[in-house]
Amino acid sequence: MSERLLEPNVERGPPEGSLSEEVFEERHVPLPLRMLRSIFGNTGAIAGFAIVLTLILVAIFADAIAPFASDQMGAGRRLTPPNGTYWFGTDEFGRDIFSRVIFGAQLTIQVGVIAVGISLTVGLLIGLIGGYAGGWLERILMRGVDVLFSFTETLIALAAVAVMGPSLTNAMIAVGIAAVPFYARVTYSVALVEKNRPYFEAAYAAGAGHLRLLFVHLLPNIIPPLIVVATLGVSTAVLAAAGLSFLGLGAQPPSPEWGSMLAAGRDYFNRASWIMIYPGLAIMITVLGFNLLGDGIREALDPRQRKV
Amino acid sequence: MIRYLAKRILAALITIWVTTIAVSMLIHIVPGDPVQIMYAQSQGTTPEQLEEVRHRLGLDRPLVEQYVMYMGRILQGDFGKTIRGEQPVLDLLLLRLPYTLVLAATALVIAAAIGLTCGFFAAYKRGTPYDTGLMIAAIFGVSIPHFWLGLILLFVFAVNLTWLPVAGSGPENLVLPAVTLGVTNAAIIARLTRSSMIDVFSQDFIRTAKAKGMPKAIVLYRHALRSGLVPIITMMGLQFTYMMGGAIVVENVFGWNGVGRMAIQAIFQRDYPLIQGFILMFACVVVTVSILIDLMYAWLDPRIRYD
Repeated sequence: MSERLLEPNVERGPPEGSLSEEVFEERHVPLPLRMLRSIFGNTGAIAGFAIVLTLILVAIFADAIAPFASDQMGAGRRLTPPNGTYWFGTDEFGRDIFSRVIFGAQLTIQVGVIAVGISLTVGLLIGLIGGYAGGWLERILMRGVDVLFSFTETLIALAAVAVMGPSLTNAMIAVGIAAVPFYARVTYSVALVEKNRPYFEAAYAAGAGHLRLLFVHLLPNIIPPLIVVATLGVSTAVLAAAGLSFLGLGAQPPSPEWGSMLAAGRDYFNRASWIMIYPGLAIMITVLGFNLLGDGIREALDPRQRKV
Repeated sequence: MIRYLAKRILAALITIWVTTIAVSMLIHIVPGDPVQIMYAQSQGTTPEQLEEVRHRLGLDRPLVEQYVMYMGRILQGDFGKTIRGEQPVLDLLLLRLPYTLVLAATALVIAAAIGLTCGFFAAYKRGTPYDTGLMIAAIFGVSIPHFWLGLILLFVFAVNLTWLPVAGSGPENLVLPAVTLGVTNAAIIARLTRSSMIDVFSQDFIRTAKAKGMPKAIVLYRHALRSGLVPIITMMGLQFTYMMGGAIVVENVFGWNGVGRMAIQAIFQRDYPLIQGFILMFACVVVTVSILIDLMYAWLDPRIRYD
């Protein structure tokens, strides 16, 4: 799979139509440029990119965009339906839901960066060392990853929160730890393939040291597939962390975290459905954005998967 | 085949063994004094009582001895007693497990029915508006949070239309949680089925079958679907374990009385024996399911069967 991600399979050719000439030509264009070109030729990826960019801008300029503070009680009357002043209505404490959703974007970005940062760093190191070292180190590392993998992410995240106690920071760490086996496996499989390529063998024969081989030769070739995994990983992490917060194991009230907003407003849904609609919509659009962008980058890296 | 299975079972046993180590050490990774944390919510516990609990849980002994004791008890089917109520953990878990399994299995059936049909149809109509429409629906399906979809379904069908009950654990209560879990996973299955079938449709044996004038329906169902199913079924096994995880969240939305709901309560109450038992049992279920998938995989794919 990893090989397919990196290199268009020219010999076998695409399954249908004749992309192969285009594919062949494309190989002479630098990868980042090829990716950008491909992403902007793909409607889904553009939509994803726009959503992600909006989310980041909203998070950065939250103070300027939000009309009220996230925890300002009595900003309006309790349970006011959406109107010109309170775009998304108000909640059971009279807080402005629009402002809370806006500030929630900051937390969501934090979740994405921290959780994926943890799983990417740890997973990359384990996979890279496992794939590079071989021998007993490889066996121990990868068997460990297999064991963790079979626990499923939810269980690892729950166990981690059970140990550390409920809070948003702990939820981010838990979600990050839970995804490590996945990142480790992807890195490992790519590293195995790259290790047997001529360029790597040449570098090895030329007497490059371990660190040089690992970080100068191996790492840059592992990054492209990991970009796909990490982009899609943000959506998984956002979903998982929002789920934990919804269960009360992540962000605690009065935090404007979207999952915990849904949990806190549960009792008022039949009277004020807007409390339920907007935070959930925000989660879905965010996740959708990262999914679309991730799919787009994957297609950009692997022309064989491109829609005809 | 036997060797393959033996290897898989050995790997599963190792996984469970590592789980027992992790689970028995769980209580020691907790920052602070676990016994004090466990009893923080109950008032009027004397230091002597805490000491007694510590002794009962074996926390006053060396780590290795604790593990040996724990393992010995587990092998005898004794998962310990809950902190609150002092009920046997294993009995509680076994009482609730069927509910979670039924929920996950029903959801899997729903997901497979929708996902296989849509994925197959999209692949067959590749490049047409049907394909595009279905795949757009699928990416929305993958992105929608379980718990939010659950809340919406609850709001629409139970609160507003009152077609279905809001909470409980009877058969009519199964509908909404199973649909919630099933729909999101149907999207994943649909995407996979589509790409797997597109791969199969482009294979030589399909072209040969078509070329020799075989009726379209037979080519589609006997040739294409059969070989396309192998990766899909493997994926569905994985899906089942995801669903067990998803069930934890969904059970809490609908008040479905499964192990997931109990586990979340246990985490809130810091009931470590119950949390430990839950993790161990969950790991056993996941491992068993994955062995069953391997069996099915071997049965479907002759290359493995005759190896």
